[in-house]
Amino acid sequence: MANIISIENLSYTYPESESPAVDNVSLEINKGEWISIVGKNGSGKSTLTRLIDGLLEASSGTISVAGQKLTEESLWDIREKIGIVFQNPDHQFVGATVEDDVAFGLENQGIERDQMVREVDQALKLVDMQDFKNRDPQSLSGGQKQRVAIAGVLAVNPEIIILDESTSMLDPEGRETVLSLVKDLWQNKGMTIISITHDIQETALSQRVVIMKNGHLVEDLTPAQLFVMDDLKQYGLDKPFTTLLKEKLNFDPEYQDEEELISKLWKLN
Amino acid sequence: MDKLIFGRYLPGDSIIYRLDPRGKFLITFYFIGIVFLANNVASYALLLAFVLFSVYLSKINIGFFIKGLRPMLFLIVFTVLLQMFFTPSTDPLWKFGVLQLSTDGMVIAGYILLRFVVIIFISTLLTLTTTPIEISDSIESILKPLRYVKFPVTQVALSLSIALRFVPLLIDETVKIMDAQRARGVDFGEGGLLKRIKSFVPILIPLFVSSFSIAYDLAIAMESRGYKDGEGRTKYRQLHWKKIDNYTVLVIALLTVCLLLVRSY
Repeated sequence: MANIISIENLSYTYPESESPAVDNVSLEINKGEWISIVGKNGSGKSTLTRLIDGLLEASSGTISVAGQKLTEESLWDIREKIGIVFQNPDHQFVGATVEDDVAFGLENQGIERDQMVREVDQALKLVDMQDFKNRDPQSLSGGQKQRVAIAGVLAVNPEIIILDESTSMLDPEGRETVLSLVKDLWQNKGMTIISITHDIQETALSQRVVIMKNGHLVEDLTPAQLFVMDDLKQYGLDKPFTTLLKEKLNFDPEYQDEEELISKLWKLN
Repeated sequence: MDKLIFGRYLPGDSIIYRLDPRGKFLITFYFIGIVFLANNVASYALLLAFVLFSVYLSKINIGFFIKGLRPMLFLIVFTVLLQMFFTPSTDPLWKFGVLQLSTDGMVIAGYILLRFVVIIFISTLLTLTTTPIEISDSIESILKPLRYVKFPVTQVALSLSIALRFVPLLIDETVKIMDAQRARGVDFGEGGLLKRIKSFVPILIPLFVSSFSIAYDLAIAMESRGYKDGEGRTKYRQLHWKKIDNYTVLVIALLTVCLLLVRSY
């Protein structure tokens, strides 16, 4: 599979800080891959994604997105290919109504109004929020706001979606709807998903997990390998429920998802 | 916060709601200007009739407009009393020191009262029937010519609409901070004026800090969605000037002519 993002020896230090937030990181992300980036607060996850989108300028190293090297000139082209859904749903809502907000990215690209109306409708339909078109953001739930944020990102047709702890402020129901929406987009539209998360269940949806610690990339593995690791706490993660249960029951330590575990439990009877 | 009628939008639908906000905005200001043309009973009656007819067309309960007077009540009463008792007259009905009551004084006071009522009613009508975002769009559209003198019209309009969009969020934030401070024992309702003002400092500082952090997040989000500097942007929300808006302009022109005819020179 072709690389959609390749990062080489990337470093970044915040102006007011002494140690680098991202330290000599190299990472290849395949097209159509769902990758989770995990790690404690301050481990450099969010900084890394901001560097990829050119929101921060790297101190050293190179980033290429879809074959294009990130430079001052290619910055805006690359931003069109990447959509980011941020953590706080209230802090990323620009428009006065749902449809205005979805149109914001299109307005920035100077798209004709007729086309905008079509694309906004289509994007809202994809996230199942078409009935809320004229509502103001204050009247929506957290999950609905994040779905609108996703619609705003989808409207401009990106190849990559970055979820920057997008579900961390949502209730379980909101989290469920947002994640199933992302799963759907990933499966049916072939998008590349980069998700920064502390939620172990969310990493289970991805194909690959990278762990960051103090600005370094320390592990690159599959979710199944992650879940059987001993000390998940040091990376800001809890053990998944199934692993905890198996430990209590003294099952073999290999990772199983909930369904596999259920069938195993049935056999006990 | 709910009591404030003046400056609040009331969702609804009527001919007044459907008028182009640019027209409504300009006509309101124009009307406030021509109020000062009126100088006799007939001209004031004309203004009042126009305002009441507009209120009728809006299908909004007149109670909302009367409530709109409330915040201005002190100013109105004060001005009216001032006119009533301090208008100099050669033939006062009643006199006590510098105070005097005369027919002239009472008539002028009545005019002042009417002036307040029509001005407040018409501006309440504008804000009740026009969403803040429509008003900000109108301002953008009206200021458009200033682009030629390098005034950043689109940027200012976007800031304005974002500011409006964040008002409810900041109110939520304020309530949260107040609750947090109350939990620490701050009492906002007690003490003298100075003490009460002082108790707002622990609200303002955290509010200020959190506004900055919201602004930072929003700026990052906007940039990630491709916002550059407002140049070359298209607009999703569009205003449409319709036939009915032409008629409204005609009506207001007619009103001006009538006013000029019936006022005394």
